Amino acid sequence: MALEFEARDFHPRGMQIRDLHVIYQTNQGEIPAVNGVSMAIAPGKITGIIGESGSGKSTLAMALMNAVPKPGRIVKGSVVVDGAGDMLTIDKKIRQKVRGRDIGFVFQASQNSLNPLIRVGKQVLDLGRSHNIKDLRALLRRAKELLERMGMDAERILLSYQHELSGGMRQRVGIMLALVLEAQVVILDEPTTALDMISQASVLEIVRQIHQERHLTTILISHDMGVVADLADNVVVMYGGELAEAGSTEEILAHPLHPYTQGLIRAIPRISGPLDQAIALSGSPPDVAALKVPGCLFASRCPKRLPKCENSRPIYEAIGSDRYVACFRGTEHD
Amino acid sequence: MIDVKNLVKVFTAKKGVLGHDAIEAVSHMSFSIPGGGALSLIGESGSGKTTVGRILAGLEVPTSGDIWIQRVNVMTLPPAERRTFLRQVQLIQQDPYQALNPARTIEQSLEDPLKVIARERGKNGAWIQSRVHEVLLRVGMDPGSVLNKYPHMLSGGQRQRIVIARALTVEPKVLVADEAVSMIDVSLRLGVLKLLKDLRQEFGISLFFITHDVASARYVGEDGQLFVIYKGQVVESGPTDEIISQPHHPYTQALLSAVPVLKGLEDPGPDRFIPLRGNDQEQVPDTACIYEPRCPFAQAKCQKERPVLQGAGHAYACHFPVVRRVVATMK
Repeated sequence: MALEFEARDFHPRGMQIRDLHVIYQTNQGEIPAVNGVSMAIAPGKITGIIGESGSGKSTLAMALMNAVPKPGRIVKGSVVVDGAGDMLTIDKKIRQKVRGRDIGFVFQASQNSLNPLIRVGKQVLDLGRSHNIKDLRALLRRAKELLERMGMDAERILLSYQHELSGGMRQRVGIMLALVLEAQVVILDEPTTALDMISQASVLEIVRQIHQERHLTTILISHDMGVVADLADNVVVMYGGELAEAGSTEEILAHPLHPYTQGLIRAIPRISGPLDQAIALSGSPPDVAALKVPGCLFASRCPKRLPKCENSRPIYEAIGSDRYVACFRGTEHD
Repeated sequence: MIDVKNLVKVFTAKKGVLGHDAIEAVSHMSFSIPGGGALSLIGESGSGKTTVGRILAGLEVPTSGDIWIQRVNVMTLPPAERRTFLRQVQLIQQDPYQALNPARTIEQSLEDPLKVIARERGKNGAWIQSRVHEVLLRVGMDPGSVLNKYPHMLSGGQRQRIVIARALTVEPKVLVADEAVSMIDVSLRLGVLKLLKDLRQEFGISLFFITHDVASARYVGEDGQLFVIYKGQVVESGPTDEIISQPHHPYTQALLSAVPVLKGLEDPGPDRFIPLRGNDQEQVPDTACIYEPRCPFAQAKCQKERPVLQGAGHAYACHFPVVRRVVATMK
C-alpha cells in the first residue's frame, strides 16, 4: 500500500507568513481579527496554534488558504507556501488548485463540512473531478487506503452518508478528504473539539502517524493546550489577534515566558501531581473595545503587569533561536 | 444525600411490524453520594451516562430501581409531589447557551425560579433582589455588570456560571453536572470546576458529575467516587484517586491513556496505549464481555462469559484484571 506514495517527491514544504492583517467589518466598526502576524511554519513539523475563542486563530487558519469568509477581509500581508507562491496574490484559478492539492484543510466540526446529501465515496470523486484528476480509480484506492489506515471499514464508509457516521468517524473522513489529493501541508482547525477523550486520542494518534509517514507539514489549531502539547513540535500562542509567544513545545511547556502562556498551562487539570497546582486563569478574552487599547492586550488579566503595560504594547520579538515573546518582562522566568 | 439502588433504563425502539428492539441504556446501577460528596460518572459518547443524569433530575422515568433523596423514596411519590421534590436536584447541561432564554436578561432568568419560591414562602420583591445578588456573587460574577445583559453578551464560561447561579436559587441538595465544562474553552474550564467543587463544601451539595474527562472528574471529586461506565454497565468503580493510580479494567486504562501528555513537563506512562478504532455500534452477545470487541487484552474466555462487577470498595468487571501504568508522570 505504501508503494504508490514512494514514487512521490517527499520534500516537506514550509510556509512564511508576513505581517498578516485580517479585519471584520461590523456595526461597531472594524475589528482587527488578525493583527500583524508574522511567523514561519517549519517544514516537516507539526505546528500548534493555541488561543481562546475569539483569539483569531480560526481566522488565521482561513487566511492561510486565502479563504476568509465575509465580512472578514485580508487587508495586508503575505502567505508564501514553498513551491506554490503567495496565497494572497496568485491567480484565483491556481489558488483553487493549490487548496486541496497542496494544502489540505480539516474544518472545525467536520460533522458540518461533509455534504449531507451525497455518499462519502461520491464526495471523493467530486473532489477529484474539481482538481482534474484523470485516474479516479486510483483516487478511490487512495481514499480506501487512508480510511483503512485510520482503522475503519473503508468499503462501508465510502457508501455511507454523513448522518450514518459517528463524530469520530466524520472527523477521520475529514482527514481523509484533506489528504486524498496528497496535500503536503495540512491545516487542522480544532480537529477534536466535539469528540470524547478516546476518540480525541485516536484522531491525534492518526494525525501523528500519517504526518510522519508522509513527511507532511501540519498546522494544528486548538484551544486546548493539552492537545497541542501532546502532538505539536512547535507551539504558537495567540491572544487577541496577535502572537504572544512561540517556541518548541518542550521549551514553551517547561519554560513559558508570557504570563498568558503560564496561565494557560497552569489551568490544565491533570491526572497526576498535586491538585492545587491547577489554577484557573482569571478574566475573559478581550472584547472589541479592549482590542483598541494602547497597552498590552493581556494587561487586565495579567498577574505580573507593570505600569507601562497599560500604556504601550510590547513588541513580539525573537529572544533566542526560534523563540519569540511579546512581553516587557521578556526573558524573566518565574 | 442521594441513594440509588438497581437503576435500570430500557429504551424500546419501534422496529416495524416485527416487534420492538430493546436497548438497555442503564444496567443495574447502584450508588450513593453523601451530602457534600461527589460521584463522577465517566464514559464516552453513547455510554448511557447522560441517561442516568436525566433520571436523577426527573426528566426521564427509570424502567426499574429506587432513588432516595434525603431519605425519601422519590419513586413512590405521586407525580405532582415528585416534581416539587425534585427541585432539590438541579441539572447543569453541556450547552449553557441553550439552557438560557436568549430573549431574557440575566436578571429575568434568575428571577423566574425565585418568584415561585417567594410566593411559597411569602417573601417580597426585595428578598428576590437580594437572592439574585447573592447567587451571582457566589458564582464569581459582578451583579452590576451582568444583570442587564443577554446570554449572547457573555463568554461560555460566564454563561455556565449563570446557569449554576440559577440552579442555586432553589437551594438544591444535589447538582447533576452533565459535561458541564466540555463546551467551555480549556482556559476557563478550571474556574467553573473550582466553583462546583467549592459548592460541595460550602452548601453540602452532593455532586453527580458526568464527564468523559478523567482529569476534570479528579479535580472536582478527588475525594469522591468514580464510576466508569461502558454501554450502560459499570466496568470499574471505587475511590477516584485509587482508580486513577490503580486502574484494573482495560477500558479505564484506555480512558486514562487518552489524557494528552504535556510534552516538556510530563513523561507518558510506560504502558500507555491509544486505541485506533473508534466506538463501535456493534451488539455484543449477552454471553461475552461487553468490552471484548475493543479490548486489546481480550482472551478466549472473554468471548464466552460476561464478567461481573466484583470487589468491595474498588470493584471491576474483568476476567483478567492487571494494573497498567498508563498515567503520565511529572518530569
